[in-house]
Formats: sequence, C-alpha cells, structure tokens
Amino acid sequence: MIRRRKPISPERRAEAGELMIEVKNLSKRFDDRPVLDGLSFTVNAGETLGIIGPSGCGKSTILKLISGLIVPDSGEIIVHSKELGLVFQGSALLNSLTVRENMSLALRSKRLGRKEEEKIIADKLKLVGLGDYMYAFPTQLSGGQQKRTGFARAIANDPKVVLYDEPTTGLDPVMSTVIEDYIIEMADELNPASIVVTHQFSTWQRTADRIILLHAGQIQWQGTPEEALVSDNPYMKQFAHATREGPMLIGEI
Amino acid sequence: MTFSFPRKSLAKIHLSPWSFIEEQFGSGVELIGQCIILFCQTLYYIARAEIDWREVFRQCYMIGVKSFVVVSVTALFVGFAMSLQIARELVLFGADTAIGGVVSLALVREIGPITAGVIVAGRVGSAISAELTTMMITEQIDALKIMRIDPVQFLVVPRYLAGFLMMPILSIYAMFIGLLAGIMIAHSAANVPPATFLDSVKQTILDRDFFVHFLKAVLNATIVIIFSCAIGLHTRGGAEDVGLATTRSIVWTMTVIFIVNYIVTSLTYAPR
Ligand SMILES: Nc1ncnc2c1ncn2[C@@H]1O[C@H](COP(=O)(O)OP(=O)(O)O)[C@@H](O)[C@H]1O
Ligand SMILES: [Mg+2]
Repeated sequence: MIRRRKPISPERRAEAGELMIEVKNLSKRFDDRPVLDGLSFTVNAGETLGIIGPSGCGKSTILKLISGLIVPDSGEIIVHSKELGLVFQGSALLNSLTVRENMSLALRSKRLGRKEEEKIIADKLKLVGLGDYMYAFPTQLSGGQQKRTGFARAIANDPKVVLYDEPTTGLDPVMSTVIEDYIIEMADELNPASIVVTHQFSTWQRTADRIILLHAGQIQWQGTPEEALVSDNPYMKQFAHATREGPMLIGEI
Repeated sequence: MTFSFPRKSLAKIHLSPWSFIEEQFGSGVELIGQCIILFCQTLYYIARAEIDWREVFRQCYMIGVKSFVVVSVTALFVGFAMSLQIARELVLFGADTAIGGVVSLALVREIGPITAGVIVAGRVGSAISAELTTMMITEQIDALKIMRIDPVQFLVVPRYLAGFLMMPILSIYAMFIGLLAGIMIAHSAANVPPATFLDSVKQTILDRDFFVHFLKAVLNATIVIIFSCAIGLHTRGGAEDVGLATTRSIVWTMTVIFIVNYIVTSLTYAPR
C-alpha cells in the first residue's frame, strides 16, 4: 500500500499562509528563444508545489532562477528565507570530497563547533539511511545513495525553502518510493516551502499538495493531484494519461 | 525523409577565413577579460587571508610533486641536446672552458623556466581545466554557490597558491638537472672536467639572473593556473566540452608562456 501525502494538519494550516516564495511575471530566454514566458505563482510555508511538464520545458530553469544561480530577463522572484536547499538532478556531490566533507560544506556558513557539526551530519545521514557512509567518496556510492546524499546535504541546515529537481528520475521504483517518502517526511517535520520538479507520475501524485503544468513557457493548468486525474484540460489530460494525442506535439518536445 | 545537419555543428565550419578570425579573436579577448577578473578576485581573497591551507598543500602535491619526474626527464634531455650543440661550437673556437658559463646562462635565463612552465601547462593546466569543466557540467559549481561558497575562493585560490609555491621550485630544479646534463656532456664530449665547468658557471651567473628566473617562474604559474581555471569555470555544455576545454587550455597557456617569456627577456636582457 503506497502512502500518500497526509492532509494538512490544523497546526500546519495555521502556520501555512506565511508566504515563502513569490514569483511574478517571470520570463527567461536562452539565445533569443523564450523558455519561460510570464510565469506567476506562490508557495506558502508547509506547502509542496509540484511543477510538471515535458523535458526541456524549463522546469530546471525555474529552480535555478529561484535559487539565484541565473537571473531572469524580466519579472520578480522573492524568497522569504535565507536558507535554501536545492536537490540537484544529478546529485552534484563534490567528487574530490567525502560524504562527510560534502555535508560540512553545506554547514560552513553557520560556523558551528566541531561537535555540533558532527552531530548534525550524523543525524541527517542517518535520516537517509547512510550513517555508515560518512567517509565514503561519492564515486564509491550507487546512484540511489548519491541521490540520498545530495538530499541530506540540501537539508543539512534545515532550510525553510527546499527545491527538488527531478528527485526520482532514473531511479528504480523502490528507490523512487523511498525518496518520495523522504520528501513527505521532510515536509511533515520541518514545514518548509517545497517545490518538486518532476515528470514522474508517482512523484507528483504522492508528494505535491498542488501542481502546475508547464508547457511552452506558460502554466497550462493548476490544481490538486486528484483534480489533475479528472481534468478536462487538454494539456493535463495528455500529460496525466501519457497519450500521443493532444496539444503537446511530439516535435516540440 | 530528408537529413539535415544539426545547425550548431555546421556553424562551426567556417567558410570564410574572416569569420574564423573574427570568432577566434572575439573568444580570445573574452577569455583574457575573464582571466583578468579571475586574477583580481584571487588576489582579493589572498589579501584577506581567506585561505584553506590544507587544500593548498593537497594542490602542492598535485601540481608540484607529481610533476617532478616528467620535469626531470625533459630537463635532462633538453640539457643534453643544448650542451652538445654549445660544446661543439665552443670547441671549434677553442673556448672549452666557457662551456659551463654559456650552458648555465641558457638554463637559468630561458630553458629552466620555460621547460618547467610548459610541462606544468601540459600536465597541470590541462588537468585543472578538465576538472573544473567537469565540475561545471555536473553542477558541482552550482552546488557550491547554493551553499554560499565562492568557487574562486574554494577552487582557484588554493590552486593558485600551490602553483605560486611550486613553480619556482620546479624551475630551479629543471635548471639543476639541465646543469647536470651539461656537466656530463662537457666531460664526455669536450673533455672539460666538472670543476672547470662549475668555475665558468660561477663567473658568468649574476644575482639578477636568479631574480629574472624567479620572476618568470611566478609569471608562468599565474598564466597556467589562471588561464586553466578561467577556461574551466566558463565552459558549459556536455562531456565533449571537457576535451575541448583541455585542448584550449593547453594551447592558450603554452602560447602565452612563450610570449610572456620573450617580453620579460626583452625587458631585462636587451642589449644596450
Ligand atoms: N544555460 C543555458 N543556455 C542555453 N540554453 C539553456 C540553458 N539552460 C537551459 N537551456 C535550454 O532551456 C530549455 C529548458 O531547459 P531546462 O530548464 O533544463 O528543462 P527541463 O528541466 O524542464 O527539462 C531547454 O531547451 C534547454 O536547452
Ligand atoms: Mg531539468
């Protein structure tokens, strides 16, 4: 029996409403080709927004814009948090450093004492089941273990905003479920504003409170994962049922 | 069904020599600009003493210790060939006793720094640009930025300091190996005893020669590390770009080393 996202508890609903991410009229072009074209959405504390859409529609670009790695051409992005965690699509661990040292980089800006840092690192690694891998190098880990390390590193300093870039893509179904469970646990325990970018059905169905469907640089549909399954919107229908027929042409994707 | 070239690869084949020169020139100017900025940022962190010494020592090992063998072999054979030519000519003029002086002049002023510089450019510069390009395309650099760690402070500063420390040592080492080769050649091919050879060396070499030697070594270190880091940190794309960045870094660092070497020589040794 696959566990789904718990309904928002009353306490969390009280805390929610605190606006964490505001995106207004966001546009971005690459080489004169518009990738994002006037996007607006918000994410509250305690809420998980799923962004879904075909490959190359600009999902990773949105996360890079929110985390400040690239700048928008126009529009506004406001993140009401200093701490921000990004789980990269390819885990992006520093290959020359051990798992422990990778974790310690994330905590560097906090300037903790050695003991304190050690404890946080051990705790977070235990959370993702990698307590015994402190001194392993990333190349000695399997793909799933690397993803989990990247996950642990992103949440090391308890960020109030967590962004996940295709956290389950390329993993086997069991590992996908494990990662989805982590995302759900994170959301339940730490109450961050989260964005999960994915095109994997189980992931957006299980982890998101609300989803937006992106295509051609714009939001084509938004609603809850349950509504998505019965939506009449031609884009959402095509995406949810994975059919060839629909407005998302093969040639464009 | 029609087959069409991907437009990007077609654009790389230049039909007009002018567009080729224009693109080469443009990207060259851009790279030099990136190097100047990177160098200033590096000096800024060094001036603020924000240095990770453990990483500096690790890089010293990567840059210095691992280059010793190849520098030894190269300097030895360059020394052999050069000494043989010099000995041959000087013997003709009956100036056997001056062999040591001429060989050591060539070594301390030109051959030492340039041999070490070119070897480090080939061995270390290429490795640095491959490593940083890989970190770029696998988003490791982005990960650093997210964790609010400046890639310049974290990656470039230790490499630069290590190059700065190791290059003079390698240059002087190359010079001594070359001198050893000179002594061997002078002894075997021109019957000059080592003592005579060394006497001639002592009479010819001035303090200024060592200063210029050191200056060249430090400049070479700067060129190799800054160019290869700048190329690495500004390459985007996929796995094939790692190879391109490596080639680019070797071509640039070696070319610039030769040019700068000549500029220093002409400023310090031009006949008056
Ligand atoms: N740095 C860049 N330079 C040029 N084009 C880019 C760059 N980053 C992304 N793109 C392009 O923008 C589009 C969206 O990319 P991306 O956000 O990675 O898509 P997704 O994550 O949805 O698969 C793609 O067509 C990609 O080629
Ligand atoms: Mg992506």
